[in-house]
Amino acid sequence: MEKLFISRDSLKKLLDRLARNLNLVAPVKDPEGIIMFGPVADAGQVLLEYQNSTLPPKSFFFPQTERLFKFSYGQEGMALEDMCGSDKRVLFGVHPCDLKSILSLDPVFAGAYKDPYYINKRENSAIIGLACSNPSPGCFCATFGFGPDDGEGSDIMLTPSGKGFDADVLTDKGQEIVASYKDLFEKAGDSPRIAGETRLTVKKLDLTGIKELLDGNFELEYWNQVFEKCLGCGICTYVCPTCHCFDIYDSSKGGCDGERYRSWDSCMFTHFTMMAGGHNPRPSKKERVRNRFMHKLKYHIDRYGLAGCVGCGRCVKSCPVNIDIRRIISDLGEVSRNGQL
Amino acid sequence: MREIARDLLESGQVNLVIGYGRGTGILRTTPVFIRKPSDAGQLVYNPLCGNNLVKYLLDQRNKEGRAAVCVKGCDSRAVNRLIQDRQIDREKVYIIGLPCGGILDPDRVEGAVDPGEEIKETVISGEGYDLITAAGKYSFTMAGAGSEKCSTCQNHNPVVYDVMAGDPSDTPDIKDDGFDDVRKIEEMTVEQKSAYWDRQFSRCLRCYACRNSCTACSCRECVFDQVNTGWVSRSSNLSENTAFHLIRAFHVAGRCVDCGECERVCPVGIPLRVLNRKILMDLKDLFNTATPGLTPDGERVLGQFSADDPEEFM
Repeated sequence: MEKLFISRDSLKKLLDRLARNLNLVAPVKDPEGIIMFGPVADAGQVLLEYQNSTLPPKSFFFPQTERLFKFSYGQEGMALEDMCGSDKRVLFGVHPCDLKSILSLDPVFAGAYKDPYYINKRENSAIIGLACSNPSPGCFCATFGFGPDDGEGSDIMLTPSGKGFDADVLTDKGQEIVASYKDLFEKAGDSPRIAGETRLTVKKLDLTGIKELLDGNFELEYWNQVFEKCLGCGICTYVCPTCHCFDIYDSSKGGCDGERYRSWDSCMFTHFTMMAGGHNPRPSKKERVRNRFMHKLKYHIDRYGLAGCVGCGRCVKSCPVNIDIRRIISDLGEVSRNGQL
Repeated sequence: MREIARDLLESGQVNLVIGYGRGTGILRTTPVFIRKPSDAGQLVYNPLCGNNLVKYLLDQRNKEGRAAVCVKGCDSRAVNRLIQDRQIDREKVYIIGLPCGGILDPDRVEGAVDPGEEIKETVISGEGYDLITAAGKYSFTMAGAGSEKCSTCQNHNPVVYDVMAGDPSDTPDIKDDGFDDVRKIEEMTVEQKSAYWDRQFSRCLRCYACRNSCTACSCRECVFDQVNTGWVSRSSNLSENTAFHLIRAFHVAGRCVDCGECERVCPVGIPLRVLNRKILMDLKDLFNTATPGLTPDGERVLGQFSADDPEEFM
């Protein structure tokens, strides 16, 4: 790993040049004050310090709606046109929780089952991480064994330091960027890294006993105390950086052609597990709410050995009825210790 | 409120009280479902009780017994609307009225208070509130930190209730809503309006929180869940998102009580309320009607037939 430094001015130059030469995606604030990752034309719009974006950057690897292929039927039979492919791009300013979430998605889409759409975007993207210098009160990334300055998952990790940023070059992709713009980087100095202090402010929740509790108890009286207020909307799953469920549809405007696309789906929706025959194995909000937390705290760990939650706090902030995964974690801890709340 | 809830449950008048409970942190409260008299102490009421709990009455529609629900003025209009729509039976609900001097917007309070703190007491003070916590007193004015919707509030006290918890609010109701928010958008050129709404709707996630929190959305199966019919596709893009929001706005026309839940719950800040208020404003202009749900037997502009209707558009 190479340790470099980039001044604020140089970073702006870097962003300008990246935007000119490649596709640059970075956190920006729209006129309504909503922070989202989006394509940017120059450094001017890019936020260099922000509390977590309203939506995570996952849609740049797994878009909410993604066209898979076109089909047409003529005298020659069925013809298919593949729509897989993406331009080279740089994702800038990704916080450690979102970096971790991409690592959590990798085994889903690029593990035993290879998803070419995801893999293509992943391979064509370089990620410049940005340490979180002002974590929001809802953040609890420390719970999952990392902190607001953890660079794993990035190609280059920036951490505020002195009058600029320390830049840890972590991968070959990162090296390529540095090599292309080496005039902008300098040798790392010894100014202390600012994000080192913020690590202390992020909450660390106790996960002791929760996985074991859920392993042994599919049915828990506790869920009866949680589900009733759920409105059954998809906010928590759609703002979640690790949720990855989708459904596949064909659409045709008549005639002999059309296209197949996939769109995010949510386990909180009534129809999510609806079977063709009309049976729904998760008939009420109780089963659906339970599934979401089982997925975050158990199933993802069972399948991939990775946490299904990265503590970004987005669902905490956005849930309209205050179903708070931090509360669920502390409650389940209590249940595992005392058998009840 | 706690005493009322305890008495109702103890005497068996109701088997459920739906109210507000302590949320996680000072900025939030959370809906609670109280079934045991001894749990009534969980109920809280403070200026961060934003949710309209009337939506939950729809879940109780086909259940045994009577449910009590805590309502603020704006929420109470939804009770009337649901009764008028025969969605709920007046005999099966017990309404605990809550006086309200306005609700604080958590986004506008955040930053001023340590979110880990808890409200010990709320004091109405001048044009706002003092929130007393263990760390001290935090003062907020409605003008500085209030919810946008409260600036046009026409019912600081419920319009329908079985019992009031506390003295009625003496905050003056707004009698003539100027619909400034709607007019601001109406003043835009067609191109500006189009660009404005395109920007809003392109952010939409189609999470359906606006629909699921809406008391006017009481369909057993929503048209937007009928994917196989082809009315609207599941793909999220500007065209489909626009169709979703416009169809929804028209569908709740004359039934929207302007409680503002759709806008409150939207995770990406789409100003949905102004869309519904445009229709509300037109209904008032065209039919000289009150906000839906204002009275128990109020007219239903788009839900009744009159032989005298001029039908000038036919």
